[in-house]
Parts: sequence; C-alpha cells; structure tokens
Amino acid sequence: MQNHRKLILLLGALPLTTSVLAQGDAPPKPTAPAALPAPPANGEMGFVVSHFAPAIYQGKEDCPQGLAATLRENYLQTQPVGERTRLLEKANEKELTARWTGYAFGPDNINICTHPDKFDRPPQRMVQGKVAQGLNLDDDEGGAAAGDTCGHANFTGPAGEPGVDNQMWRAMGCVRTWRGVDGTGGDIVKGLTQFLVSGEHSQVLLLSGVDSLENDPDVTVIYANSEDRAVVDSRQNFIPGASYSVTANGAHRNVLKGRIVNGVLTTEPAHIRLKQNWGQGSERDIRGRRNEYDFTRARLRFTFQPDGSIKGIVGGYQPIWNVMASASVGGEGAATTAGYDCAAMYAALKAMADGDRDPATGQCRRISSGMEAWAVPAFITDRLPQPKVAQR
Amino acid sequence: MSGPFCHRARWALLAGLLLSACTVEKAPQTAATPDASFAPLKTPLGQVAGMRRLTEAQYRNSIADIFGPDIKVAGRFEPIVRPVHELIATGASASTISPAGLEQFDAMARNIAAQVFAPDRRAQFMPCAPRDAAAPDADCAARTLMPIGRYLFRRPMTQEEIGAFVMMAGKGAGDGQGFYDGMQLAMAAMLVSPQFLYIIESAEPDPAAPGSLRLDNHARAARLSYLLWNTTPNEALLRAADEGKLTDPAQLAAIAQKMVRSPRLEDGVRAFFADMLLFEKFDEMAKDQIVYPRFNPDVASALSEQMLRMIVDQLVTRQGDYRDLFTTRRTFINRALGPLYQAKVSSMQGWVPYEFGEGDDRAGLLGQAGFLALYSHSGRSSPTLRGRAIRELLLCQPVPNPPGNVNFTAVQDVGNKAMPTARIRLNAHNSDPVCAACHKITDPLGLPLERFDGIGAFRRTENAAPIDTAGVFEGTAFQGNVGLGQALAASKSTTECVAGRAFQYATGRMPEDEEATAMALEQGFAADGYRIQALFLRVATMADAYRVSTPPLAKPQVAMMTSPHIREGDRP
Repeated sequence: MQNHRKLILLLGALPLTTSVLAQGDAPPKPTAPAALPAPPANGEMGFVVSHFAPAIYQGKEDCPQGLAATLRENYLQTQPVGERTRLLEKANEKELTARWTGYAFGPDNINICTHPDKFDRPPQRMVQGKVAQGLNLDDDEGGAAAGDTCGHANFTGPAGEPGVDNQMWRAMGCVRTWRGVDGTGGDIVKGLTQFLVSGEHSQVLLLSGVDSLENDPDVTVIYANSEDRAVVDSRQNFIPGASYSVTANGAHRNVLKGRIVNGVLTTEPAHIRLKQNWGQGSERDIRGRRNEYDFTRARLRFTFQPDGSIKGIVGGYQPIWNVMASASVGGEGAATTAGYDCAAMYAALKAMADGDRDPATGQCRRISSGMEAWAVPAFITDRLPQPKVAQR
Repeated sequence: MSGPFCHRARWALLAGLLLSACTVEKAPQTAATPDASFAPLKTPLGQVAGMRRLTEAQYRNSIADIFGPDIKVAGRFEPIVRPVHELIATGASASTISPAGLEQFDAMARNIAAQVFAPDRRAQFMPCAPRDAAAPDADCAARTLMPIGRYLFRRPMTQEEIGAFVMMAGKGAGDGQGFYDGMQLAMAAMLVSPQFLYIIESAEPDPAAPGSLRLDNHARAARLSYLLWNTTPNEALLRAADEGKLTDPAQLAAIAQKMVRSPRLEDGVRAFFADMLLFEKFDEMAKDQIVYPRFNPDVASALSEQMLRMIVDQLVTRQGDYRDLFTTRRTFINRALGPLYQAKVSSMQGWVPYEFGEGDDRAGLLGQAGFLALYSHSGRSSPTLRGRAIRELLLCQPVPNPPGNVNFTAVQDVGNKAMPTARIRLNAHNSDPVCAACHKITDPLGLPLERFDGIGAFRRTENAAPIDTAGVFEGTAFQGNVGLGQALAASKSTTECVAGRAFQYATGRMPEDEEATAMALEQGFAADGYRIQALFLRVATMADAYRVSTPPLAKPQVAMMTSPHIREGDRP
C-alpha cells in the first residue's frame, strides 16, 4: 500500500489527476480541516468546478472475477471451448476480429452501443465490494424499496458512513475506462475533466449568506453553468480568482438551500440540471444534441479546504441512459474500437437502477450516482434567469 | 468607403469641394481635389536634413489611412535598433534596411498593391478607366498614380518621379500582362521607395536665420502627423503644406492645436509611451512555466495593452497631470488579467475600468503587472531590473552595465532558506563593493516593489518570510509601491525626463544641449499643469525642433529616377 500512496502523491503533481480513493487510503475527513479561510465580509463565495467525474473507489474486493468483459471476450464466451481455442490462434486473428465486431450489430444493422436495449445480453460484471464513495440519497441506511425507489444494497463510505447510495458505481465500477488501475481513474475521469477545461460546459457555484466556514445553518447555493470559457494555466489547471458569469438559461441555474456543519457544506435534496456539451452523435439521432446532467433528489456535500477550494460529492438519481451516454453516442466505434459491450452495460444499469420506479412495470428508470467534484475560488456574477420570450 | 479615395463617381461629384463628406479624421486623405492631387511638385525637393524609417505601427497606420483598414499588411518588419538609453524614434534616424528586410518590404508592397488594384476595389482609387485593360495607358496611369504617390511620399511627386512610375506601369503592362498588372508593379515600387519607407526631412533656407536651414512645409506636415497621430499626414495637413502654412508659426500652432485636441492623439501618445517604456521587450518576454504556470498567453498579451489603456485614460481621456500617472488607482482590466490581480471582472469580454482599493499597494504605472513582469527575470522578480528601468526610462538616468565577472550566485539562489528574501540576497551580493556601487542606485527603487512577484502578482511573503518594502529616493524614505509612486510624482527628474523624451521622439535626435532643452521644456510643462497635450503641442511647435543643425545629407539617388531609359513617351 505504501507504493500506492507514493504513486498517488506523485500523480497529485500532474494535471488532470483524479482523487481516486483506493482501499486503504485515508478517506476525506468529514470534519473541518484546520485553518480555514475567514468567511467573506459580504457572505459571498464563488467557485468554478475544476473536476466533475464519477467518484471512484478502488476496493480490492470489488471485481473478484476481473473487470467487465469486452465485447470480444463476451463473444468468445458464446463459442464452444474448441472453437474458442481455434479462434484465439494467431493465424485466425482476422477471422476472430470479423466475428466479434459483427457481434456488435443486430437486426437492420443496428449497433450494440446505440441501441443496447435491443440486444438481450447478460449484465456485465459489477462491483462486489462493500465500500464506495457517494451520498445517502434516500435517507435510508437499509436497502428496502421505499417511495419511488427500488430495493438495493447500500455501500458504506470510505470513512465508514452508512447508507451510501451509488448504484451507478456498482454497475459501472468494474469497467476499465471508469475504474482505472492503481490509484488512477479511468479515461472517463480525464475526459470529463477535459470537457471542463476546454469550456464545453463550465460549472460554477455561488454561495451566499456565509457567515462561517465552520458552522452556518443557512446558506444559499447557486449551482449553475457558465458560458464563459475556463481560465487555465499552462498545465491546464484552473486558475483561482478568475471571473465567470452564471448562464442566462434558467434551467441550468439551480438554487439550493444548504447548511455548513463542521466545515462541510451540504444541501437539501433538489432537482439539479446542468448542461453537458459533448459527443459527436450516433445514428440514434443524438448527433450534435446537447446532453444534460439531470439529477433528481440531488444534494451536494463539499468540504472547505484550507487553500480556499472545496472538494466533495454531487449525488442524485440520473436516468440510466445518461450514465452510458458516452458509449451510446460513440455508437459503433465504442463497440468495435473501445470494445464496449454496451448491451451488457445497459443490462447492468437497468438491473441496478434504484430510483424513479415506474408504477406500471416496477422497473426503476433512474440510478443513484455519486459524482466527485472539486472547485476552486472564482468571482461569480449571478444572472437571474431571463424570461422566455417568443422569438418568432 | 473608409479609405482616402472616394468612389470614382463620388470623386467627380466632389471634385470641387475642399472637404467632402467622406473626409473624416479617421480616414483623413479623402476627396483630394484634382488640382492638388494631380499636380506635380511645384518647387524643387529640399535638401535632405534627415531620414527616419517608418516604424511598423507607422507603416500599418499609413496604409490603413491611405487605402482603408481592410487592406491587409502581412509580413515581418525588420526591427529598428534602439540606441542605448535612447528611443526607437532616434534609432529610426540611423536605421538601414538589410537586403532580407527589403525583401520583406517588397513582398508586403506587392501584396498591398494587388489588394488595391483588385477588381472589386480598384475603382475606389482610380479617377479613370484605361482605354484598353490589356494595354498600357500612360495618361490613366499618371492620373491614378499621382494622388497615390502624393499620399505615400507625403508630398506631391516630382515630374521625374511621375515619369518613372508611369514608365514602370507601362512596362509592367506589356508582355502579355494587362494595365492593372502594370499599376500593381508601379505602386509596389512606390511602397519600397525610400520616399515611403523613410520619413525624409527636407530642409530649406531659413529666412529668419540667413545661412541656416529649417524643415520645409511637407517635412513639417509629416513631423506633426507622425508625432501627434502616429500616421501619415492627412489631406488637410498636406494641403496646408502645399500652401506654405506650416512655416508660419501662428498657422503651425493653430493646426497643431487642432491635432492635439483630436481623439487621434491617443495613437500618438500610445506610440510615444510604447517607445519610451521599451514595449518591444514584451514581444520577447518569457516566463518560466514551472514557476509561473498561470502566466498564459492571454495574460502575456494583455499586459502591454493594460498599461497603454491606463496611460491614455489618465493623460488623454482625463487630460490628467502626468505626475498622477504614478499614483492613480484607476486602470483597466480584462478577464485574462482578473486572476493575476485577484479582481472580479464584471464583463466577460473586452476591457473594463477598474479601481484599486484604498490601502492596496497597487497604484500607478509601477503597480501595473506589465511593468512588474517586464522588468523581472523569467522565474523571479528583480529589484535591480525594476530599479534600473525606473532610473533609465522614467528618470532618464542611465545606469552602468554590471562588470563581466560578477558573481550572481547569491541573488540567483532564490530557494535559499537562509536568505529568503531578495533584500537579504542583495545585501549578501552587495558585500562586494564593486557591485554595491550600482545596486545603491537601482535597488532602493526596486525593493519597494518586492511584494509583486515576477509576473506582477501580489505576495505578502517570499519563502515564508515577510517582505520589507522600504525604499529611498532623493533622500526621502517611503514604503512600498504607493510610496515609490508618490516619490516619483514629486520629483522634477520625472517630469524633465518625459519632456526631454518627447523632444527626442519628435525630432529623432538628442537635443544639442540636452539638459537645457529638457529643463526649458519642463518649465513649460509645469506651467501647463503637466498635461501631455500641452507638452506635445509645445514640442510640435517649438522653433528649435524644426531647426536643422546638422549639415544636409547628400540627395538620395534612386536608380530608377535617374535612369536614362525614361523615354519621353512614358511621361504623362
């Protein structure tokens, strides 16, 4: 474990690193760190989000059978042992490639990532461990269905907090591009952070009514997008003290009620929507469409840091399609180049979905999720939503 | 229509008017009347008293004003070498152009000429159409080139010059080329002529001082225009020169008065301070990205503009006292600079006014990140570089170069915990009396700025040690940048320096009696409340500035103009 720690420390000096927690690492302290900055005179604190990606915890017992299989591996499993052995011979590589990539397509040539729901495949390998990052979203430390939720097993947080709801991680935490290895998060972490750096969908936070960074029972939090491009340094790190304005789109300006206890800011459950710009589209007619982060019963938990930044988790229930939007938008390429078995991914997400239960079918349509978020101090100019006026 | 030439149809319509509707200050050379534009120089060329190469900005401004801002000027300008402790303006008086530099000018000239005579644009610049677009037309060529030449050469062309360029247009139109190809060639030749690339200061006998020379009218027009507006003379100024008004002190003063009141004075003031403060160094400024990762290209490109905006606002827009330039809390800021100043920027695009708070050590010219970053090393601040810049640039007090065998180990060891601050390191360095002699001159002015790091960002400590910002200037002790600014503002050396620089900038030479001239100008500057317009007006109208003290240069020989191959038939 010492080696792991050294590696994490080393990576901490590099841009776009993650704060991946590996088993044995000290979790973030829920109590206030020493020497927090003084509260602002006007009670306002602004931040720009510098990191927003699935919260990763690399537990040793998470994936005992290995990582989620690739499409190639899953195809081979469909073959009898003898045929599998033959296909794996070097001389038959071309034939194997043709056959497993063909496995990505279904009737009418639809592909497995654009239409994963049209394929009947078993769920991918999922997280078996008991520990994960996230928040208790249903205020329940058990796993029984209640209200509009579906029954599920809770995780325990890295610091031992019970009742963590993060079924997204359970379904996706054994996917190599999410999980990563040896304390480094997967490609999705780097990719999502890069979208923030490049200004695809800047996120900002504006806290008002802050009288103390230690304890304050009443804080208003505006969590919004900004149309302003990120101001970054030569290492692609967000520069503190830059100015941003809140988007004019009221749909992406979330006003939350929060409180600070022992240096930790938490907000009350709310529906949080944020712009998410990326993707080159696919044949499911989402090319160029702007996606959205859409979290219901969402809450924030941020810990104030001595350097003025905040670090924490954004948790909520998001549509299962949103979780695999990247693979879905990637379409054929995601299946045949990245090797995703999107049908297996979809099956896992559907099985683990624990929110927004359809009363008619009993199937949950949303999945509890924990996103890790960091933010650095910034000057935020708020903008009240503009009234919608007919343009034509 | 933004250039000097109106559309041909308009040209005919407006031919009888002295100043037409398309004559605006920003596009000054419009609607020249045919009699002015089409007439060759009536008097012989004066004696050449000096030649000053156009700076890049002057070249660009001249092309934009003559042909319109939509004409693109693309190319690399060979830099004008700045003489030690002087201005680029004085370097321009002795600047040659290398063969490689001329190649660049030639490429730019051909490109500009191609744009001017492009099918969709040429009508703006031509008072006639060729009889046959596939053949030479000496008459139309002359009628087109004469007004263009007048603007480019800042005087009417001589008959000889007209003949040479028309001949060139004719030859360029032959061999399967057309009329417009010939016109492009002739105009490109004008643009690489020394008559354009250099501001030629021509002189005439001074009736008030027999045996002496003074700058003639057209040289005065160019002097006024490049000094005050950093561009080529406009139609009104050329006409005043044609009419001999600029050698009449009263009329010269009246015209200069109008020019300093124009918003275009901003261009002149920007150019002057960019020269005085060595802004060319911004082009080569580099910061260590490991030490200063936040110094990104957006920050680098904003620093000089911030300083110029602040200077223009104080001196031109507000017509403020020059001394207040060192103490004002007003500046401008953009989004790129916001983090460096840790300031909220209300507009996400462009520049917005910003005022530093009371109690903030940011104020004045020296508190601008541009000055602080420019006079620092790539990875650390430098009280010595900053102090030297203040001495040399703002007080006109040259500081000797360090000897070649100096041991810089102590000052460069910025991570040494035993010597955590620059003041402590410099004290160690100055234990060598050879070093101490110069550091006594520079460091008391640079150390008060030590709360600003090598990119001009504020810091309270260096290596966790508090920073002592005590300084001394002309016997007065003070603290920090604010104290330094107040000390500079109170010093006669500061105002004498800028007054002397203004004279050098205007004339391209050091005054014969530098001290006396600077002092005299300073007295006038003081009487005018240290207003920059008044200083520029004073310099633009003082008789001394137009007096030719050096022997005239030999007349430049331009091969083309003396060619025996100019045939009579080529002349218009």
